[in-house]
Amino acid sequence: MDFKQFLKEFKNRTQYDFCDYCDSSISRRLQRIVEDTSMSFEQILDKVTVDEGFKNKIVDDITVNTTELFRDPQLWISLYKTHYQKLPKSGTITFWHIGCSVGLETYSNLIMMHQMGLLDRCRSIGTDINPRVLNIARNGEYAYRFNMFFRDNFDAVMKGCGFDAKFEDYFDIDEKADTMRAKPFLLERPKFMVQNLVTDKAPFPYRVDMVFIRNVMIYFNDKLQNQIISMIHSKMYDNAALVLGKQEALTSQMETRFSRMGQYYTKKPSM
Amino acid sequence: MSNYKAVVIGGSAGSFALVLKMLSKLRPDFGLPIIICMHRLKHIRSGLAENLAMKSSMKVVEPMDKERIEAGKIYLAPANYHMFIEFDGTISLSTEEMSLQCRPAIDYTLSSAAIAYREKMVGIILTGANEDGAKGLKDVADKKGFTIVQDPATAEVPTMPRAALKLVKPDMVLSPEGILDFLNNLQ
Repeated sequence: MDFKQFLKEFKNRTQYDFCDYCDSSISRRLQRIVEDTSMSFEQILDKVTVDEGFKNKIVDDITVNTTELFRDPQLWISLYKTHYQKLPKSGTITFWHIGCSVGLETYSNLIMMHQMGLLDRCRSIGTDINPRVLNIARNGEYAYRFNMFFRDNFDAVMKGCGFDAKFEDYFDIDEKADTMRAKPFLLERPKFMVQNLVTDKAPFPYRVDMVFIRNVMIYFNDKLQNQIISMIHSKMYDNAALVLGKQEALTSQMETRFSRMGQYYTKKPSM
Repeated sequence: MSNYKAVVIGGSAGSFALVLKMLSKLRPDFGLPIIICMHRLKHIRSGLAENLAMKSSMKVVEPMDKERIEAGKIYLAPANYHMFIEFDGTISLSTEEMSLQCRPAIDYTLSSAAIAYREKMVGIILTGANEDGAKGLKDVADKKGFTIVQDPATAEVPTMPRAALKLVKPDMVLSPEGILDFLNNLQ
């Protein structure tokens, strides 16, 4: 059985459809799973049918769960100088973080909103396929020493934006337990929800002012990228911003619907 | 022209200055793509490409995901992404877990290049402070690619070349000048 047959059968037996993930990266992920479990594709399929915990572990291992506090500080500084200044002057501002993983980018954005005095008007939604990482996001607690570079990113962004803020304003640090945890006023803001991007519509009824989908679509083929960007596009207000990863670009088919603004895109108003 | 389709170089501590020097002395009509995976300090995430571009007559790019590899260009693994070489001659990026505390991991770039190019590539390991790259170079050797390890005696930090020499019997062990000569004489 090759990996494509495995993915088809995996889709039949679970609700997870990875068939349009990018061949090269998913085949590498699967190869690693086969090595780590010492099981064949057939054995893995038999076990996911009867063992929920094992199925979740396989999904966990197939999907990539990376996020950082203020990944790419320059991006955040440039957002501050550009799109953040154009956010609605009254009413609710809605942010959508797709593939949010453990939520660090969601909290990064909320820190910016707090600095700009906009936190009370924020509606922040994080979605991901993986329930395990969403639980960590809700809890807002992370390893501390391993992630010391979060502090460097934080300081670089605050300095670049001219904010006078300390890391400790936003995180409670417990050196002994080696943890940092988002403070309650941050923690209470975002809603984290499960969404399978391949099969599900957005799990909320609002239109959004800003979408972050960074380093998610690098794992999808063009067909799936187009399908997902179309779905996102329909949820965006005119001139809303779409932020991709630093080394990502929209497919040629999708980019006509957006204007490129340096590090991000905005939705072209409908005629 | 050459039997090779690409040169893939890995290095970490000490390798940046070395790569700069080598690229500045590479002949301007060097006809192969050069793919470089270097570890960088977390707080020095930009400036590498700009510096390389100033020193080299070849075009230096930090590739976008799924960018096509072209002859005569230098591809530098972007900060904080793994860089893979694909069958179809494109580069793919990922933010997967770090490997040996590294992202980009030299092992991933070399191993994927070994599968894509087989015997038609040159893999080079330079000075560096950890063992990343050794397994990747072994994959290159296993596919009959040409392998070079910087002579540990000439390395600012010899850990990486030593780790490679433990796993691989390379085609050549060379000083930086030797590596440069080799590249300039690639036919």
